[in-house]
Amino acid sequence: MEILVLIKQVPDDSVEVTVNPSTGAPDLAEITPVVNAFDTYALEMAARFKEANGGTVTVASIGGDEVDTGLRNCLSVGADKAYLIKDDSFKDADSTAKAYILSQAIPKIEEANGAKFDMIFTGLEATDYAGGLTGPQMAEDLGLGCVTSVIAVDPADNGVTIKQETESGYNVVEAATPVVLTVTKPDYDPRYPTMKTKRAARKMTIARVEGLDLDAAKTAPATKVVKQYAPPKRQAGVKLTGDDINEITMKAIGMMADAKAI
Amino acid sequence: MFNKNRRTNDMSGYNTITPEIIDQIKGVVAPNRVYTGEDINEDFSHDEMSIYGKRMPDAVVSPISTEEVAAVMKIAYDNNIVVTPRGAGTGLVGACVPIYGGIVMDMTKMNKIEGYDLDNFVVQVQPGVLLNDLAEDCVKQGLMYPPDPGEKFATLGGNVSTNAGGMRAVKYGATRDYVRAMTVVLPTGEVVKFGSTVSKTSSGYSLLNLMIGAEGTLGIITDLTLKVIPAPKEVISLVIPFETLDDCIATVPKFKFNHLDPQALEFMEKAIVQASERYIGRSVYPQVIDGVEAGAYLLVTFDGNSKEELDDVIEQASDIVFDNGAIDVLVADTPTKIKDAWAARSSFLEAIKAETNWKDGLELLDECDVVVPLNQIAPYVKYVYEVGEELGLRIESFGHAGDGNLHIYTIGDDKISVEEFEKKADEFFSKIYPKATEVGGLVSGEHAIGAGKLKYLAESVGQKQMDLMVGIKRVFDPKMILNPGKVCYKL
Repeated sequence: MEILVLIKQVPDDSVEVTVNPSTGAPDLAEITPVVNAFDTYALEMAARFKEANGGTVTVASIGGDEVDTGLRNCLSVGADKAYLIKDDSFKDADSTAKAYILSQAIPKIEEANGAKFDMIFTGLEATDYAGGLTGPQMAEDLGLGCVTSVIAVDPADNGVTIKQETESGYNVVEAATPVVLTVTKPDYDPRYPTMKTKRAARKMTIARVEGLDLDAAKTAPATKVVKQYAPPKRQAGVKLTGDDINEITMKAIGMMADAKAI
Repeated sequence: MFNKNRRTNDMSGYNTITPEIIDQIKGVVAPNRVYTGEDINEDFSHDEMSIYGKRMPDAVVSPISTEEVAAVMKIAYDNNIVVTPRGAGTGLVGACVPIYGGIVMDMTKMNKIEGYDLDNFVVQVQPGVLLNDLAEDCVKQGLMYPPDPGEKFATLGGNVSTNAGGMRAVKYGATRDYVRAMTVVLPTGEVVKFGSTVSKTSSGYSLLNLMIGAEGTLGIITDLTLKVIPAPKEVISLVIPFETLDDCIATVPKFKFNHLDPQALEFMEKAIVQASERYIGRSVYPQVIDGVEAGAYLLVTFDGNSKEELDDVIEQASDIVFDNGAIDVLVADTPTKIKDAWAARSSFLEAIKAETNWKDGLELLDECDVVVPLNQIAPYVKYVYEVGEELGLRIESFGHAGDGNLHIYTIGDDKISVEEFEKKADEFFSKIYPKATEVGGLVSGEHAIGAGKLKYLAESVGQKQMDLMVGIKRVFDPKMILNPGKVCYKL
């Protein structure tokens, strides 16, 4: 099968992020960009599917030249081809606009690849703003079905069988292809690049998708960030003191009941 | 040798602690930080290696200042009471176990990072600060405290008292190289300061260096001035599988020959990696690569000032290891991947402990941490496994390939009794310690001597050196009341 994995470069979420007190925005300048964790799970799932069933894995991302680093890393952990969808006007695009841009770029990538994609993977959400909107909205724009929170995918007679994580357990879903899947953490970790795969990836070309014929109204952000601020610090709790432990405990229970906490 | 002191307090000549002495102590330390009888937590009777014996102290005192330590020590000295200083109790040789009873001086409440002097690159800490807490605090300041022993929840006082080494010793040295000054309460209760913030000295005998690695037998450390360095900007780790341990170890000196200076260089065998990955529930280390089964791994970390610099370094390192039979090189180039690659290594001891058996409240686990010349690592490890097999003992080993420090564990199964295990372990160690000495090694690389290894130290260094050490102890501790039965002085 032909699989496309869409990735986003985000600030490394294993680093503690602080909020700039004057702007209210997170201070991200010093934080190394990495491929969004959920996208790395999607790529690993795609690579394992390819290794078991054959096919090709293509990765693509919207962004500037700096995203080449992330795409090249993907080429060293299972991707066969990489495309950067690039236009300066995309800088302010929100999830809805990005979904539209991707829906317009994907046919161009298919044309360059010489084959249609059977599955399009995205991460469940990006770890920076955690909207989780791009995948489903892009599926809508492409007129394709979409399954979210995917933790496994296997070939089936007329498409694929998908294991979807839910709050209470799992759904097993059958879907016809092409289909859009948003991937969450499976029960394995993404593979490590090796020196051999890194050296091979270094020699590969990251193709550009440029000059898309886009509707300007749809690439403009549909949402606007009004204000960013750090969550208020939690107030210190109440300390109850006394000699009789039963009395204090009853008092604590009473306070929690009054606050409707129990 | 293991448990003969477990229940005895006789023949020692020390006095037993009385209610009057407890009252005196409560006069100098807040009564709620003086514990006796059933108020003493069982943890104070042992460290991480219960096989070297357990003994409850008669009192535990948790001081919060040098003055309190000095006042308690003076009372103990006047009354001829044994005192055993203790950090977090994570030691592996029984050094903090009060084998003659008396007072345990619990240093964990003296746990403040007092401040950094960034003009002189030092940090002042109380001895009960945990290694993990200092390491994290240093990161926030853009600094690094280089010593990196596997046990991150040990106290710095404990680290200094054992001259703990750790993963980064191959590049940065052991704890000793980072101690600039300390405040010490002597067994008499007098307070002295050894060393200073300066970086060099030729000012008489180094009493500072005598204190480092003394395992709390010469004095009680109550304040430390430690050297820190600017944190390296970038780090990268490589997981390198080899078909055999011989190939793996033979590669180690090649890094230095080629001017590569890894921050950490660990070797590990397949069995312990698999046990550890089972324990942490994560699989990073590949078992079969292109049809070749990995028998051993090197885990290497490099640090540098830029990604480009490190890219060059790992290219060179990869050429070296491929030329020496590496099957593959996995690259951990993000903080998460580095953490995951090291998680298995950091959990070896816990993974071993998770699979050991307990009998009569004792864990059937014993270990040694000999250090041998680099070119002796592979033949020595082979010898150790042969002896283990001969005796029918399960052996696990891993170690710091860059400095020849090996950690060898012997584990009793559920069929063996404590006595049988001790006998077999004794037989095992009676062979492998002399072998280490024979090949030019030493008894302990970083875990120290405590009560558990005293006999093997004596055999290794000989009577004259042991006499010199006891003589030094007597100068510091005329009544021999501070942590007796450890390092060199046995009743």
